[in-house]
Amino acid sequence: MKRLLAFTIATLAIRNNLFAAEAGMPQLDPKYWASQAFWLILVFTILYISISKFYLPKIKNNLEDRENKIKKDIDDANKFKELSETRLKEYERILENAKREVIKIHLESKNTLDKDIQKKKETIEKEIEKEISKTQKEIIELKKNSISEIQKISENIAASIIENISGDKLNESSIKATVEDVSKKTIGKYL
Amino acid sequence: MASNPMQQFSVHKIGPEIKIAGIDLSFTNASLFMVISASIILLFLFFGSKEKKIIPNKIQLIAEMFYAFVAKMISDTAGSKAKPYFPFIFSLFMFVLFCNMVGMLPYSFTVTSHIIVTLIMALFIFIAVTIIGFIKHGFKYLSIFVPSGVPVVLLPLITIIEIISYLSRPVSLSVRLFANMMAGHTMLKVFGGFVISLGLLGGWLPLGFSVALTGLEILVAFLQAYVFAILTCIYLNDALNLHH
Repeated sequence: MKRLLAFTIATLAIRNNLFAAEAGMPQLDPKYWASQAFWLILVFTILYISISKFYLPKIKNNLEDRENKIKKDIDDANKFKELSETRLKEYERILENAKREVIKIHLESKNTLDKDIQKKKETIEKEIEKEISKTQKEIIELKKNSISEIQKISENIAASIIENISGDKLNESSIKATVEDVSKKTIGKYL
Repeated sequence: MASNPMQQFSVHKIGPEIKIAGIDLSFTNASLFMVISASIILLFLFFGSKEKKIIPNKIQLIAEMFYAFVAKMISDTAGSKAKPYFPFIFSLFMFVLFCNMVGMLPYSFTVTSHIIVTLIMALFIFIAVTIIGFIKHGFKYLSIFVPSGVPVVLLPLITIIEIISYLSRPVSLSVRLFANMMAGHTMLKVFGGFVISLGLLGGWLPLGFSVALTGLEILVAFLQAYVFAILTCIYLNDALNLHH
């Protein structure tokens, strides 16, 4: 539509009066064509030289610097990541070793402790046995002694009871024989 | 008459008349706006590349975006061989874009709405591309006019068509930019004139059109600069990488 309009205007202008700026298109007036060409070439040459020699290298450098920086940062990050991974592996290895060591130490100390305890237990048991056998002997002694003591006492008591009851003094040996006889029969109940 | 829509394109002299060897090279309003556009580009690039920051500020970011935009355009269309021509394409794109954009300001002058300006640029590109083609490929560059895989009967016809299309490149390139800019500005002016002549009652519709057209024209200003640059890249690609 617009191009059609432009084309219509252009053809009309060309048909009516080709080089008349006042009535048609000022673009077709050749009066300032040389001037426009001259200034265009001058301005564009200056623009081109300053852009190509000065500004574009600057922008390019800046872009490249940024790209390099990003690349370097990424590389650094990767390097640090690898480093941290190796450190982590090392740490895990150390941890593993430590765990094994702990288990070993634990086992060893347990064994030594067990042995120690066993030994101590045995000695104590032996002592206890000794003590028990000693005490048993003492008890047996005491039993024997106590039986004869009891016989004597019961003889005396029997003698004094008989004396008090009948007023007679009985033969000591007969009392003794009777007491012995009775005690033999009954002492088993108490001892 | 001030309402003549073509009057905005008239060129007039500013300052004294400069004549070299009988040719009038006076400084005109067209020259002034070329200088203004170039100055804006240089100022923009100056502030865009002044500070070398890892994290760019806004103007540096925009300058770098322009750089990346043109670089991508060239590498997409002409490949890596076109790298030495990057500064030229970048300058061309920036110059056309800023001339178009400066032309969108009211009371300004659109440099690219003059056929002589666009034709000189297009002719320069055409001649330069042809010379590059012959330097890179010698007489084998002429094979650009003989496409492969064409039946022998059709070959003379196709070759003639190819030659005509090759020779019409500068015309199409220059007229495309010139006509787009001129038509857009003429239409803006016509609708602006309608706003005045229809007055307070009927002027609102053409005013709305004017606003919409201004937006469209800004798009066209960018698009035509892009098209101009990308067609240059395509022509360059033909010269650098002979595919035919």
